[in-house]
Amino acid sequence: MFWRIERRLLGASRGRLAVVLLALASGGTIITALVNLELDTSRKLTREFRAFGANVILSAREQPAIRVPTEGVLDASVVARIPSEWEGQRVAAVPFLYLIAQAKPIVSPSQADPSDSVAALSPTMLVVAGTRLAGLPQVAPGWKTVRGLMGSVPQGESVRSAARSPEACLVGTRAAQHLGVIPGDELLLSAGGLQESCAVEATLTAGGPEDDQVLVPLGAAQKLAGLPGRASLVQVSVPGTGAAVDRFLARLSAGLPDVAVRPVRQFTEAEALLYARIHNLLLGIVAVVGLLTVLCVMTAMATLSLERARDVGLMKMLGGPISRILRLFLVEAGTLGLVGGALGTLMGMALSAWVGRRVFGVGAAPRWEIVPFTLSLMVMMAVAGAFPLRLLARVKPAAIFRGEA
Amino acid sequence: MSAMIEVRALVKEYGPVRALNGVSFTVWAGEWIAIMGPSGSGKTTLVNILGGLDTPSSGRVAVSGAEISSLTEAELARYRAEQVGFVFQQFHLVPYLNALENVMLAQYFHSMADEREAAEALRRVGLGERLEHLPSQLSGGEQQRVAIARAVINDPKIILADEPTGNLDEANERIILSLFQELHRSGQTLLVVTHDPSIAQLADRRIELAHGRLARISAAPMEEENGPLTALSRPAGASW
Amino acid sequence: MFLRIVGECFARRPRRKVLAGVVLSLGMAVATGALSVSLDVGDRLAREFRRLGANLVVTPRADSLRLEVGGVDYRPANAGAFLPAADLPKLREIFWRNNVVGFAPVLEVPITFRPSFAAVGGPAGDAAQATLLGTWHSHEIAASEGGRFVTGVEKTNPWWRVQGRWFSEGADECVVGERVAQRAGLRVGDTVVVQARGQGKVLHISGLLATGGSEDDDIVAPLPIAQEAAGKPGLYRRLYVSVLTKPEDAFARRDPSTMTPEEYERWYCTPYISSIALQIGQALPGSDVQPIRSVAEGEGRLLSRVSVLLWLVTFAAVLASALAVGATSAATALERQAEIGLMRALGAQSRTVAALLGAEQLLLGLVGGAMGYAAGIFVARLLGEALFGAAPKEPMLVLPLVLTLAACVALGGSLLPLRRAVRHDPAAILRGE
Repeated sequence: MFWRIERRLLGASRGRLAVVLLALASGGTIITALVNLELDTSRKLTREFRAFGANVILSAREQPAIRVPTEGVLDASVVARIPSEWEGQRVAAVPFLYLIAQAKPIVSPSQADPSDSVAALSPTMLVVAGTRLAGLPQVAPGWKTVRGLMGSVPQGESVRSAARSPEACLVGTRAAQHLGVIPGDELLLSAGGLQESCAVEATLTAGGPEDDQVLVPLGAAQKLAGLPGRASLVQVSVPGTGAAVDRFLARLSAGLPDVAVRPVRQFTEAEALLYARIHNLLLGIVAVVGLLTVLCVMTAMATLSLERARDVGLMKMLGGPISRILRLFLVEAGTLGLVGGALGTLMGMALSAWVGRRVFGVGAAPRWEIVPFTLSLMVMMAVAGAFPLRLLARVKPAAIFRGEA
Repeated sequence: MSAMIEVRALVKEYGPVRALNGVSFTVWAGEWIAIMGPSGSGKTTLVNILGGLDTPSSGRVAVSGAEISSLTEAELARYRAEQVGFVFQQFHLVPYLNALENVMLAQYFHSMADEREAAEALRRVGLGERLEHLPSQLSGGEQQRVAIARAVINDPKIILADEPTGNLDEANERIILSLFQELHRSGQTLLVVTHDPSIAQLADRRIELAHGRLARISAAPMEEENGPLTALSRPAGASW
Repeated sequence: MFLRIVGECFARRPRRKVLAGVVLSLGMAVATGALSVSLDVGDRLAREFRRLGANLVVTPRADSLRLEVGGVDYRPANAGAFLPAADLPKLREIFWRNNVVGFAPVLEVPITFRPSFAAVGGPAGDAAQATLLGTWHSHEIAASEGGRFVTGVEKTNPWWRVQGRWFSEGADECVVGERVAQRAGLRVGDTVVVQARGQGKVLHISGLLATGGSEDDDIVAPLPIAQEAAGKPGLYRRLYVSVLTKPEDAFARRDPSTMTPEEYERWYCTPYISSIALQIGQALPGSDVQPIRSVAEGEGRLLSRVSVLLWLVTFAAVLASALAVGATSAATALERQAEIGLMRALGAQSRTVAALLGAEQLLLGLVGGAMGYAAGIFVARLLGEALFGAAPKEPMLVLPLVLTLAACVALGGSLLPLRRAVRHDPAAILRGE
């Protein structure tokens, strides 16, 4: 009989049912979406911060007092000993070898213009950086390359699709200006009696020392410098909170005792603070909105449950014990909470996935551990909303009927 | 006959207002009492207290030997479930339960719901074909009959009716009153609040209230030659 | 008469009204709080992002290529071009001057040094090589509109730490990078003799500098001292600028030379990093201004992501509160049906009944909305102070927005049940169907 009455209670008024479910479902959606988003954003945020580039530098432990460009190098193979993943996020490590060399554009005899001044043909001294060109986007995502092939309008793009062929190189914008080269030209690099040539794939704008450099494949630089298997430093980009990065540093320092491991404090410090601010902001909003939503839905439920006042009076008149009467309505509220909550949870997951995709380009992975949390919260809210009935249960039945008549 | 209801010096106050001001009377088992009086005389208050829906400010009320004036809420609920059956002018059926379930609800709060017994009770009031109907699908008279079936299902000591035919037309009124007569014949104690003298005629005695006090108790004649309600038809298919 | 009835309707059944009003207020408080914070947060965060330091770098257009490896410039001392420091106060007069958080000129000179406590020719007396980096710290510039403007590396490189204290402008002081100090055994309070172009200068070490970068190998001193050492009075070689910017969108990335005059003006008057760079270039003749892409791009991306995220959260919050309020409105309307039926049975026209109830709902919406707004502003203030140390500015936009929302939701939520009730047969309603 209990469940028979329950079924009738739930089906009593279509309009009311729809309204209750709407209130519960919207509350559930919001809370689920917010919690899911909040939990997910921490990870996404730390990854977003890597848009600044490398935050850890590995260099040789011993730096001579008198600095010479090619002194103080480390073994390039150390890159292989850097973990490729740290606490669930991908780590990027790219080696760099710097040397000073002479650069000159290679002009084929047919292209040579007799009116070119001698100065234009004399070599320019600049810094050559050998690196894994394909790895640049991971440690320098902000850099911009410009390819202008055969006079077509150059389109700026990030270093993503940078040179892959072993002969290709990137030239910083200022270096390109001084050399008078555009993408497609060839460069001759010479240092210490050794020579290398390369084809200019694109020009590079970084807003830093790289604008004055020529970036070549690591092997070519090693050959030019006469330092096979060596690198000046390794730039590492490791996403994570301040604490996670600290742990990474400790691990590296312990695992690579012959190498100096340093955080790039410009970024690590600012990021720690910014991450805290943004995270707290999100948390604050989520908490406030969540709390207010809970209150809102509870009050809505309370309003709706007042309709049951007459039924409570009637059942009391029939001699129903308070506990039994309340149980009926609390179970009704709980069931509605469960159904509305389930609906809300599903919609909330979908919503947070959509939001995640729109904001970060990657949908938020649904965390199913939120489900029991939200469901129980919704049930509690619905039941708490039935709370006014407890007060009604104390009132004498005659009073309820009097209020009715 | 033993005393079914004993009321001594019953007082009920609502703030400054005294709805009942020292009422005393006795009702014997099996009696049909008509409670009459102008509006504001305290009729409904008296019925509420007798039915355990309200508690007196002072005075004593004993039903079937048990003192009810100082029972707790829970004990009053028990009292209502076991000893009292209500019939109201507005029927007060649960709108989303059908006829059968409305009667079963009373069983449920008493002890346990029994569908067969409930169906039987409805058949006896002539609603055997309407078990599954919702109150909105029943006429006023049929709804009141469901209320009556609900009132008697738990074998109560007393039945309290507050203007039971107030919302009904003449034909349905006749049906309801003949049901009451059957109940009376089978020994049920009935207290019926009414303002209609022709209904009061059917009762054994009349209690008249005025301004919260007992104005008069008189015996109503069991039959009246030219009364308008002499010829009452029994509803088809009903038997007691 | 109409208003009187509305007023009386409104005052009746206070419990039900109070609950509905509470829901409305709470819902509107959610909306207000979320809106206030979102509208303000862009500016706040942009300011926070300046902890990253400079996002623009200015170099002489005619300069030769830097031969910099590991922070050491291997160019011969006189090679290249320089910029006059006298032009720098003009930065306080560009269109976006209020967005310029700070700037610091830099001049690097290769020098040799030795601690002055060491005897010449002794074991510690051999001169060591280092770079002398001349720049500003807490340098004051008079602004044309009055007021002081203090700038320097504390604005452009906020992660630099000094153990001891920074040098004072005009004093013969310096701060020494940690690694240099370690190698040479220098401590705060020591003096060091710096030599360049055959001349020596005694500098008092006021602090030790820790940057985590190549400057730990440098000696940092006030700009005039470096200018003297390099023989380039009044000049600098590089300028770092930290500016507050608006994240770039598709419009911002267009080439200004392809824009129409209106578009150009719009671009010029928006603090995109590209337009600010242009304005700085106009103020400093002979200069080449470039965004420091690692900082500028990252900042832009993060800011826009966070903004979008917050706006979506705000939208969701507003939607949810509207739904909850609508639900309550609908519930209240559902139970008013008997009342409506009665009114119509008494002969009231459908239109009058609808208007009456509509007015009541509107009143409820406005009152509840106003209270919710007040509560929301309070909450937003608390949140703002907790997070950023300052309450969010209250844009005038929010109040009318919230009131409109409240009115719409209060009316809209009850629309369907009221319509049904007003259309239906009054007798059926009175019967309780």
